[in-house]
Amino acid sequence: MSYDRLTVDSLDAADPVIWGKVRTAFADALGREEDEVELQHKIIEELDAESLDFLDIAFRLERAFDIKIPRGGIENTAKAGMGDEVYEVDGALTDAAVTRLREAMPEVPAEELQAGMKVTEVAETFRVATFYNLVVHLLNEKASA
Amino acid sequence: MTARFVFLVHALSPVHRRFIGLRRATPSIALGLRDGTDPMSGIGRICTLRLGDVAEGEVWAVPLDPTQMLEDQERALVRLERAARLAMLHGPVGAVGLGSLAAVIGGRGEALQERLSVPVTTGGAATAWALWKNTRAVLEARGADGTVAVIGASAPVGKAVATLLSQDGYRVRVDNKRAAKGLDVELADDADAAAAGCAVVVGAATTGGLLNPAALASGAIVVDVALPSILTGPAPAGVRLLAGEAVSCPPSWDGGTWGRIYQILAGYGPFQVFACLIEPLVLAVDGRDRPYALGRKLEAADVREFGVRAEALGFRPRLAQGWREARL
Repeated sequence: MSYDRLTVDSLDAADPVIWGKVRTAFADALGREEDEVELQHKIIEELDAESLDFLDIAFRLERAFDIKIPRGGIENTAKAGMGDEVYEVDGALTDAAVTRLREAMPEVPAEELQAGMKVTEVAETFRVATFYNLVVHLLNEKASA
Repeated sequence: MTARFVFLVHALSPVHRRFIGLRRATPSIALGLRDGTDPMSGIGRICTLRLGDVAEGEVWAVPLDPTQMLEDQERALVRLERAARLAMLHGPVGAVGLGSLAAVIGGRGEALQERLSVPVTTGGAATAWALWKNTRAVLEARGADGTVAVIGASAPVGKAVATLLSQDGYRVRVDNKRAAKGLDVELADDADAAAAGCAVVVGAATTGGLLNPAALASGAIVVDVALPSILTGPAPAGVRLLAGEAVSCPPSWDGGTWGRIYQILAGYGPFQVFACLIEPLVLAVDGRDRPYALGRKLEAADVREFGVRAEALGFRPRLAQGWREARL
């Protein structure tokens, strides 16, 4: 079985079983009620996550879905298709990197990813749906293995 | 009967891993020939710490460095569980404490607690107690006028410290709206705005690098528990950066030679310990079956209660600058 990734325009098409587990993982990791967690929420700005919370979220998702989330997964996915193109210059994203990130994170509004923004600022654009999509990607990969 | 506790740590760096290999008489790790991920090697007791005949604690280490702890949390969890179970073979254990990243991985200790029948505690209450008391010492030395900023207030320790300082009657400003919820505190847009104009700033985040040093008022004192520092760069001239989680030990505290070496290598220095180390001690002495801090759960009332018990055993928060006691 294959699952579809969510985009900005298709957040309401989430698989209910996967979304339920993702929601629980976020709620438990961030000490929130489940109804306080929505797919479109920005994890840092709207759910007040700190960097270590990402570690906790990843651990809970790994256990819930029996998957292994690689460190730097989203950035690595973006870099994977870049060949010889440059991802960053002096810590700032290149045009090519932005193109790849927009493809890797269709759940993030494109205008939030701009050339010149700092690499460290990319995490601030992460939505709950970013992790939903990461889980879906890993589940699809696992199913096809 | 002497209460017994275990404190689980990991290698803080590849150099520390070599020390663990040396201590465990595991030449392949001591010489750097193995990376510590071997499931059977290197796990073992580093030292035994004693508080008179009241408590005895064993520090057990797994030879995984920070990168290895974070890249595969399940693997780290299995190693920590094994270390705890091996320690339990030496006698009954009243509590298990977690040091450094051991307190962060696996749902901030929750996954290890699911696997062990004794209370597992992260050290959060002890850290919050030391930070709260050390901050109060600075505020009292400064005359306690003005506002104290708590940076990293969304983390459990930060929220608890903001709560305690507010309950004590201080004007508190936090950098996070969630931390402000339900508290009588000021809310700033971000860390820099929270610290602006404050003579005393508390760095309470679990990880550092949140506060631009240029945002600090001239002459400010930063009381910090973040690792690395809460500041994104060196402290400006005139700004003092003090360690907020050091604790001095009563005269009956004794770790022997290996204990002293451990304290130095772990960054405590010879005359103090980090507060988190004594949290399982207090738990074990009291026979309390509920951890003071686990996962994100950390209540201000538990911090107060912990502090009362720790002080009754002779431990005192110690405002430190490096290994030395800070003079205000």
